[in-house]
Amino acid sequence: MLSPYRVIDLTDERGVLAGQMLADLGADVIQVEPPDGSSGRGVAPFFADRTDESIYWAAYTRGKRGITCNLADARGRDLLLRLLETADFLIESSDVGRMADLSLDYETLHERFPDLIYTSISAFGQTGPKSHYVGSDLAIWAAGTPLLMSGDDDRAPVRISQPQTWGHASGDAAGGSMLALHARHQTGRGQHVDISAQVSAAQATLAQVLAHQLGSADPERYGGGVKIRGQAIRGTADVADGYIVLLMGPGPAVGHFANHAVKWLVDIGAAEPELLDENFVTYADRVATGNADPALFPRIQDIMREAVATRTKQEMLDISIEYDLLLAPVLDIVDLGNSPQLEHRGFWQDIEHADGRRVVYPGPPLNILVDGQQQGICRRPPPELGQHNDEVYGELGLNPGEIDSLRSEGAI
Amino acid sequence: MTLPEGTGPLAGVKILDLSWIVAGPTVGRAMADYGASVIRVESPARIDTARVVGPFHGDEPGVEQSGLYGNVNAGKWGLTLDLRVPDAQEMFRRLAVWADIVCESFTAGVLARWQLDYSHLRELKPELIMLSSTLLGQNGPYNQVSGFGSQGAGMAGIQDLAGWPDRAPAGPFGPYTDYPAPRFALTALLAALDHRNRTGEGVFIDQAQAEGSMQLLAPALIDYKNGGPALQRRGNDDPQMCPHGVYPCLVPDGRGESWVAIAVASDEQWTRLAELLGADSSLSFEQRRQAQPEIDAALSEWTSRRFAAEVEETLQSAGIAAHRLATTEDAANDPQLEHRHHFRRLPHSLHGETVVEGPRYILSETPIEPARPAPQYGEHNDLILRDVLGLSDSEIQDLAASGALS
Repeated sequence: MLSPYRVIDLTDERGVLAGQMLADLGADVIQVEPPDGSSGRGVAPFFADRTDESIYWAAYTRGKRGITCNLADARGRDLLLRLLETADFLIESSDVGRMADLSLDYETLHERFPDLIYTSISAFGQTGPKSHYVGSDLAIWAAGTPLLMSGDDDRAPVRISQPQTWGHASGDAAGGSMLALHARHQTGRGQHVDISAQVSAAQATLAQVLAHQLGSADPERYGGGVKIRGQAIRGTADVADGYIVLLMGPGPAVGHFANHAVKWLVDIGAAEPELLDENFVTYADRVATGNADPALFPRIQDIMREAVATRTKQEMLDISIEYDLLLAPVLDIVDLGNSPQLEHRGFWQDIEHADGRRVVYPGPPLNILVDGQQQGICRRPPPELGQHNDEVYGELGLNPGEIDSLRSEGAI
Repeated sequence: MTLPEGTGPLAGVKILDLSWIVAGPTVGRAMADYGASVIRVESPARIDTARVVGPFHGDEPGVEQSGLYGNVNAGKWGLTLDLRVPDAQEMFRRLAVWADIVCESFTAGVLARWQLDYSHLRELKPELIMLSSTLLGQNGPYNQVSGFGSQGAGMAGIQDLAGWPDRAPAGPFGPYTDYPAPRFALTALLAALDHRNRTGEGVFIDQAQAEGSMQLLAPALIDYKNGGPALQRRGNDDPQMCPHGVYPCLVPDGRGESWVAIAVASDEQWTRLAELLGADSSLSFEQRRQAQPEIDAALSEWTSRRFAAEVEETLQSAGIAAHRLATTEDAANDPQLEHRHHFRRLPHSLHGETVVEGPRYILSETPIEPARPAPQYGEHNDLILRDVLGLSDSEIQDLAASGALS
């Protein structure tokens, strides 16, 4: 869908997903790295069979072409400017101020390329009192407010073990860039899209970031759930081989799921058939008016926890589908790697690297039909360092001799 | 006949939004911000869970009280339709023909039962763009799993990966798959709109919210699928940073606890931190990992004698990533969020005023303000039925009598 557009991707590990999202939608994305490689090539984990090759970098450069360009060198910058004449988007995630030091900041480039969409990803934003703060996944989670809400209540708050915040920010960078493209259709002009990872992380609070301003109490962390006004609500349960996410509550939004759970408990003989007469959609209102037993629902929750404890994740998933419950297994990485659902949807993609190795990647984030025709993801393997120098610089009209001398002079 | 047009790059773009809770509505919110006319369809007969989840205005629960519903539906027009009623299905059909984009998040197969799924709507309007967003996608053995992003977090591997290695998973805060999913959906819908405007071709997007979330686990998934170890939850440890964690601080009056996050990413940063702590500044990364319990203890001792704000400022001045674990009061007073004008106050007919987050993009030449707060139930029924669908007053009354609008 985005095949008419070219993206010059100057990001490092902090913004590298944004360009891939556009590449998976069809854009021509050229990852530009310094001659000694992006810092992203040093980010863990590394391939088991090639311990110097970053899986992180491979994961998010799949689908892009790759060139090297020394932006600290005047000839390198000149080449980048020639490349930008052919580009619609520039995306960067360098330390705030670095692009200005290179005379490649938005103001400078906007004057020269008024239709270029220039997207910056940073921890806190391009301007403001924290714009020069050092960012890191954990600190960004902290600044956006989700971190304080996450974890066991008797230990320090805890993050997700695979860093996430730059991914959220990159997702916003892709969306913001597309909004700027639609603006360009109206005005003919490009503009600066300024993404703050702190703001992106704040979205991961279910709007609780607004709690204080709305006069509401902050939710507090609680393992496998949350505490609201001091009351712990556990959203998970133990099963025979691990854990499930289990939400059961009365009320108009979710009470029918509780009714379904009661049906299952009666069917397996764990609860008395008379309970089928109870309707948990209206139960809470009747408790409030003294027309239902407040001890009933907690008792059913206990029966439910007991019933699931002897069953496996897989059994509970099957039961959840059969009875339509608010219940799902807590899958680990091994479970995901062997998931029949992902297998059925063709999620895993086998992609041949430049060195001939075949590597399995997670598949497209979306399954897209254009005019009824299935679209694939961009199956281009992650580029080796400078892999497309000859091709891309050749497209600019440079002959192989010129490219060789730029290489030997350290410009690319 | 149409709604008052919005302003911005998406002015004139018409969206029929039948999605619910967070993952879908967040997408429509972003497009409404930038000028699209978004009609949010819902039914009081099946309450949108976002309406009964906090934060609530004044901490008072109620279906018109939710700051979550307000945050993901600001700027939209509200219509109530009970799609189980045939007359409501007919209204949906006519609105789908009006729309450029239809967003929905029913369990896979539900719309097909009413002949309102993409294959049927495409016959009415070949150039339609449609997003169908569910936890696990439209097909596959588990496509009928219903639920919220909390179930999604379980099935996307995220729940298992947040917590301590010696404990059950703590999980992330909230329904995690609702966070990445709208970013992928919005980007793709805007690409589809661009494509349709150039080619006239329609687009269907089948989103499995879990698969979107798994893009943010891609390194761990690739590692395991290609012979490496399966990532397991590891508290706040990081394979390449040390020290790296959340440390206790002096507790300000009126608070129960206070914490600061610190991430030391290089030997140079460690040298500067060690000088502040009076520790051995020459330790390499491997040496720091070996001495991690002692370093964490010394750092905790140092932080616990200081307020989090002070630790944050001291370490940031030394070029080390650190930030207090912000409460939502801290966020309200954060000078950086203030600088970005992140929180937007909107006049509200029930609450006097409400607060929503601003867009997560600052576009230098396209500043925006949400046009209106999220709709109350049926707030714009008459406007939509009359001005968009051209119904007469008596036709609207008949529709209401049929139960289609409840």
